Order: sequence, then C-alpha cells, then structure tokens
Amino acid sequence: MSSESREKFTQSKLDRCISCGYCLPACPTYQLTGEEQSSPRGRITLMRALQDGRLPFSDEGAQEQASFCLGCRACEPVCPAGVEYGVLLEEWRDITWRGRKRPLIIKALFQMVSAPWRVQLMSALSPIARKRKSSTDIHLALGCFERRLFPKVSRAVAKLAPNISIDPTQGCCGALHAHNGDLEGGKALAKKLGEKLPGTILSTAGGCAAHLSAVLGQERVQEFSQWWSGNLKPMIRNGKPIRIGLQDSCHLRNGMGVFKEPRKILAQLGEYVEVPDAQGCCGAAGSYSLLRSRDSKKVIAPKVAAIKELGLDYLVSVNPGCTRQLKSALRRSKVKTKVVHIAELIALGP
Amino acid sequence: MAEQSLASALTALLGADRVFADSAAREAYSRDATPLFRGLPEVIVAPHSTQEVAEVVKFARATKTPIIARGAGSNLCAATVPLNGGIVVSMMQMKKIIEVSRNEMLAVVQPGVSTTQLDDAVAKEGLMYVPDPGSKTVSTIGGNAATSAGGLRGLKYGTTKNYILGLEAVLGTGEVIRTGGRLVKDVAGYDITRLLIGSEGTLAIFTEITTALTPRPKSAQYGVAYFNTLADASIAVDAIVSAGILPATLEFLDNTCIKAVEDFAHLGLDAQAGALLLFGDDGNSESVAKTVGAMADISSSARGVRAVTLAPDVAAAEALLYARRCSLPALARLGSMSILEDISVPRPQLSRAAEAIEKISEKHSLLIGTFGHAGDGNLHPTIVLDKDDADEVKRAEHSLSDIFNLALELGGTITGEHGVGSAKLPYLRAKLGDVSLSLHHNIKSVFDPDRILNPGRLGS
Ligand SMILES: Cc1cc2nc3c(=O)[nH]c(=O)nc-3n(C[C@H](O)[C@H](O)[C@H](O)COP(=O)(O)OP(=O)(O)OC[C@H]3O[C@@H](n4cnc5c(N)ncnc54)[C@H](O)[C@@H]3O)c2cc1C
Ligand code: SF4
Ligand code: SF4
Repeated sequence: MSSESREKFTQSKLDRCISCGYCLPACPTYQLTGEEQSSPRGRITLMRALQDGRLPFSDEGAQEQASFCLGCRACEPVCPAGVEYGVLLEEWRDITWRGRKRPLIIKALFQMVSAPWRVQLMSALSPIARKRKSSTDIHLALGCFERRLFPKVSRAVAKLAPNISIDPTQGCCGALHAHNGDLEGGKALAKKLGEKLPGTILSTAGGCAAHLSAVLGQERVQEFSQWWSGNLKPMIRNGKPIRIGLQDSCHLRNGMGVFKEPRKILAQLGEYVEVPDAQGCCGAAGSYSLLRSRDSKKVIAPKVAAIKELGLDYLVSVNPGCTRQLKSALRRSKVKTKVVHIAELIALGP
Repeated sequence: MAEQSLASALTALLGADRVFADSAAREAYSRDATPLFRGLPEVIVAPHSTQEVAEVVKFARATKTPIIARGAGSNLCAATVPLNGGIVVSMMQMKKIIEVSRNEMLAVVQPGVSTTQLDDAVAKEGLMYVPDPGSKTVSTIGGNAATSAGGLRGLKYGTTKNYILGLEAVLGTGEVIRTGGRLVKDVAGYDITRLLIGSEGTLAIFTEITTALTPRPKSAQYGVAYFNTLADASIAVDAIVSAGILPATLEFLDNTCIKAVEDFAHLGLDAQAGALLLFGDDGNSESVAKTVGAMADISSSARGVRAVTLAPDVAAAEALLYARRCSLPALARLGSMSILEDISVPRPQLSRAAEAIEKISEKHSLLIGTFGHAGDGNLHPTIVLDKDDADEVKRAEHSLSDIFNLALELGGTITGEHGVGSAKLPYLRAKLGDVSLSLHHNIKSVFDPDRILNPGRLGS
C-alpha cells in the first residue's frame, strides 16, 4: 500500500461543477433515495465543504455518501460541464479510506491480489487459458476475479483468438485499488502490468479496461468487444434465432465510451433486445456488492423484473463483477435466462 | 427552535424516514444551481402526500419557522437557498403521474415529476407537454409552475403559464385549496391559478398539478444563419416575425458562445461568425417546409448575413439544438465561475440590447457571452470570471446592475424566465415600483399570514 496519499481534492476539478443538476436523473443512488446528498451534485457539494473545511473528513454523513456511491460514473456522460466525477470519487476515497479506515473486506481483497503469485493462486483450481506466446503484439489481461470465478472466459478468448499471447504469471491491474481509496497503489499496479504485457492489452473486463486505459493511455488498451472484428452467424436454437440482451459495464460505457460495439456483435448473433436501462448500474460496482449488499440488491431489483419480462435466452455481460451479480440475482428470482460473457457466447458457435 | 428539537418534533410528526438533519444532508441542501449563494437549512423533510405537506406547514406556522419548497433545485436565482435557515421541504418523493387523459388533452401529476418524464409519458398518447426549459431532464413540474419556466419554443407556444390548468396547493395557513381544474373555460372567481404560477414558493406549496397538452407535431425542421454581429441577427429575427411568421424556434448565440461551444462539442460551427441564428418550426411537413424556407429567405437578404443553411437530417438538427442547449456549460468551462443573466426586452429593441451588452462587457473588462431565446426577446448574457479574483467579482456585480438598467430602459424586464429569487430581489423595486411592490406584500399576507413560506423573497 502506498504511503503517499492526498490531503485535498484537485481544486480545478471541483470548480468544473456548475451545480446544474443534469446528473441527478442518471444517478442510481439518487433514484433510490431522492435525497440530494446521495446525488452526484450533492456529493460534489459535500466534497466542496470538505475541501473548505466546513465539514471534517470524518463526518459520518459524508463518509456514508462516499461509500454509498456506486462509482458507476453514470453522472459523467450526462454532465454538460465535463466534470470528472470518477476521479474526484477516487480522490475522496483515497483521503477517507486511507490506512486503517479502509473497510475490512477491501483490505482482504487487496491482500488477495497483492502479489502476482497470489493472483495465480486464485486460479489454481480454475482451468483458465494456458500460457502461450505469439508473434503478434496483443496480450490478454487475465482479470484477477475473472480467473477465479469465470475461467471459461479466458478459454473462450484463447479459442477465438489463436494469435494472442497469454501469460498467467501477470498480476492485478489495480482497478480495485483505485476505486477503493488507494490511488497511488492502483496506478503503480497498472504500470507494472503495462510493462509485463507490452504492446496492446486485450481485456475481457470493462472495469479493468477502463482503469488500464486511464493510466496507460487509450491506445494501449482494447476491451474485447472493441477489438473483435470477425463476422458471425446467427445462433439458432429450437429453430429460432436466440433472444439476447446486454448489461453495459459502467466503466466501459461511461469511462471509455464503448457501448455500440457489443450491441453490434450481439445483433449478428441473434435477436438483440435492448434491456430497459441497460446502461444503468447493475449494483455490482466492483466490491460494492460485497460491502453494501442490501443497497446493491435494491439497485438490481427493477432490472431483474425487466429481464424476466423479456424472456431472453441469454443476458450478456462484459465485466465479471456484473456477471456474478446478474447470475445470483436471476437465480434468486428463478429467472431462466443464462448470463454469459460476450466471448463465451461467441465461442459457443452457431 | 434549535435544530435538534426541530428535527425531533418533525420526526414525531412524520416518521424518521422523512426527516434529515445531519450535517451532510444540511450541507447538500445549502445550494441550488445559482453561484455565490449558500445557506444551511436546519432540517430537510421529504413528505409523501398532500396531508404530510399540510402538517409540516402547520408545524412551521406554529413555530414560526421558515419553510422552503424545493423541487430539483435547478433554479438560477437562488430561490431555494435557505438564507434564513428553516425547513427545506423536498417535493421529490411526490413523483407520480396520476393521469394522462387523451380525450381531454391533459395530465394530472404530483409536483416532483420531471418535465421530461411528463413529456415522455404523454408522448405515448401522441401528445406533447410543451414547455421545454433547457433543464427539462432535471427540473420538476412543481418548480416549473412556481417559476413559470420558459423554453426553446415559447414564441409559437407560450410558456408554463399557458399550460397549467389547475393546482392543488397548501397555503401558508396549512389549508389545502384547489384552483382551476380540467375545464377549458372557467371564469368563476379570480384566476388564482395564474397568480400562483411564478410565485416562487412564497404563496403556497403545490401538491398536485393539472397541465394542458397539445397534439405532438408530426415533423420538425431546422436551419442556421450566420451573421457578422448579434445585432444583425436580432434585426433578422425582427424581420422574420414582422413578415407574419410565428415559428417554434428562433434562438441565437454570439461569437463568444459559438467559439466556446465549438471548442467543447466540435459541431463544425463557423467560429469566425459574430452570431449564429438557429431557426426552426414543427407541425405538418408541408407547412414546416414553407415556414423554414421563408425564414431562410429572409435571413439570406438580411443585413450582415454570412451564410444560411438548412439542416439536411435529424442528426444535423439535433446538433444545432445541442449547440444552443450546451451554451451555458460550454461557457462555464472558460472560468471558475459563471453568472447567467436573463433579461427580456421587446423584440424590436433586441439589436440595441445586444449592442449595449457588448459595450458593458468592454466597460468592465469582462468576458460576457450572450445567447438567448431571440424570438421571445429573452437574452442570457453570461459573465465568465475567476471566482478568486475579488476585483473581477466586484466588476461583475457592477456590470449586472448596468445590464438590469439597460433592460428597464428598453422597456424590458430583469428576468424573463428564471425568476427573482434572492439574486434579483434588489432590482425588483426598479421594475415594479412602490405600489406594485406593496400589493405583492399584501397578497403575500393573505396567502401566508405568518410569512413563513420562502421568506425574504417575493412579497417580503
Ligand atoms: C442549465 C440550466 C438551464 C436552464 N434553462 C432554463 C430555461 O430554458 N428556461 C427556464 O425557464 N429556466 C431554465 N433554467 C432554470 C430552472 O431549471 C427552472 O427555473 C426550473 O423551473 C426550476 O425547477 P426545479 O424543479 O429545479 O425547481 P427548484 O429550483 O427546486 O425551485 C424553484 C422555485 O420553485 C419553488 N418550488 C419548487 N417546487 C415547488 C412546489 N411544489 N410548490 C411551490 N413552489 C415550488 C421553489 O421554492 C423555488 O422558488 C435552467 C437551469 C439550468 C441549471
Ligand atoms: S451535471 Fe456536472 S456540472 Fe451539473 S451538477 Fe452534475 S456534476 Fe455538476
Ligand atoms: S458514480 Fe454513479 S452512484 Fe456515484 S454519484 Fe455518479 S451516478 Fe451516482
């Protein structure tokens, strides 16, 4: 963990906000409560009070809002003034969650991914894609939690893209750290991964891709659906093309602006159905579903109802956290729709 | 009453889930969209029904506590900043669309419904809720009614005041009244509905609103004309209306705004031009084509014109509308603070107003970008400044009073659509005169005898 932490927010980033409130309708926590303090604008007002010393960083209500925020960044694309809310939130958590104040679950997660050998250990029992070197300059990033929970994803990519290199000795990308109050640590890990995987990094996790591209530069990083260029045939089941929906990855959409790409792929694979509020956070939000499981369930509840109504064969995810969240929510509500990563669906074949 | 006892009394009245008094909540409600104004409320309550609103008002009256109704807090005149502390009543838990009636062409809603939510809901019935303030995705119908919000199609269609048929409202006494209703015609008694519209939360708190709707137009078309100066564009606007054309949209931006928008949104605008005029109309496609064509013709032969083009498709039209809608945020990026003004003048005076604003900007060495609803004679001169430069802030204040005086000299007003709030209260006497001001004061006493509703604002 880095000892170098910030004292204050970047003033010019706070000044950007003109308090217009355009971000209110986009914010899932504001939708839940209708309370200004749990809106993006309200949180920025709180940051300003913290910055100017009107509120102490230890203020309980303020800390609650730093933690209640999903970090989904849905407030960014709708902001006419270009406020970088995601960066401000990272700074906020960096200050409030520094050292001992960090929630225990986060400390435990940090520990699990603190060294490459630990990350490898996570996939010790999961059959992920095998090590392979290729002549091209494209390297697959193996998300830490994706390795453990959804090893089929990297195997699917390995099958679909015989020309990419895969190196299981790589470490964590640091997105977890950046989102949970360790900005410096998050940056350092991303840079280390950038050195370990020279050239283009291909990622199957929206959250990791967005973090890596923020640190290493957009030109170094490709999320899977952005990178995929092959033509696909419709998948026919019981004589009909399959019905497919998508759940956007917040950081992929709001941070990297990638949302048309997966839809284009899915439209080739079957009958694509836009899930209502597909762009809205599913409540997984990285470690959020572990830290605030009740709020996380409230966020996903209306989505589950909408998905049930649509009678989809597959619901496609582009981020492992979302996959986990959607799988368990649909299971709880006995919805039959299967949740898969986009690469897995392509790999199934027509 | 001390904060704690206020909060506990209100909690006893409404339940803990309706009441907030912690420092973070109070801080969050200390501002609206207006720069420079800030004030902490003692407590925030979020009622779920008319009955609960009435109970809060009765309580406030009994304890002589200020009470400020708040919708989305998007107003630009510090109308919801709790400068005297007190209770903020957030209307955001009352957000049901109660009814959309196609055959009566009306909707009944709770006040926390947003303008866009209402318009989207009635669109399913082929109808339209007309007033479309730039803030429509955020602003509430309650807030729109309390400020009589305008929008981008006021010239042809009018503003909020033309679309409110009836209100249910809680007076400063805690009594609930109903005004107007579902009728197209009804002249039984004073028009209290119209009196309450634009009353900025100082006479009553609206708890249910009946709005008029119109058929949704089948098509729309837009075009753009560039001019050497904003005054030239203003003259073209006057010529268009004088020719007997009443289009839905006549909006303009000056060079400062065009450059800011172009830098921000890269829409391919002519950043060399002194002014951009956006014209458009909606309705059946034949009449739209005719009106838009006529506006293009008039612009083409107007003084100082540089180029005129029609938007070839919906995407191009959207880009033009976006250019207009994003003027304020685009300008705001140029400094750490921006002050947006809202004067309105008779349309024939528009060119003089435009020229005079330019002079004011030179006189005070300030960056002022002007955009506005040209067809309505409504200008938004926006001062962009460095909030930490005390001298510049002072110069901005002087320029504001110049701008207001200018509007009054030209037979105009200090606010066309944003409202008076606290920000423009010091200039209200100059606009209204003593007799009208004291009438305001007396009207307020009738609706709100203890002067608890948004005190220190209209009618004080
Ligand atoms: C970027 C931007 C663009 C804008 N563009 C326009 C525009 O084009 N045209 C325009 O007219 N305005 C515009 N506005 C100003 C603002 O959005 C409007 O004044 C809007 O009507 C305010 O609605 P609100 O729900 O935010 O109300 P608030 O800001 O919460 O309140 C405004 C006033 O209404 C009162 N009020 C709110 N709810 C109630 C209620 N239920 N009963 C009684 N009183 C109530 C409040 O006390 C206050 O006096 C813009 C603002 C921004 C930030
Ligand atoms: S939309 Fe942007 S500028 Fe407006 S209140 Fe939200 S963060 Fe601030
Ligand atoms: S990141 Fe998501 S939850 Fe947090 S303020 Fe923005 S929109 Fe709301």
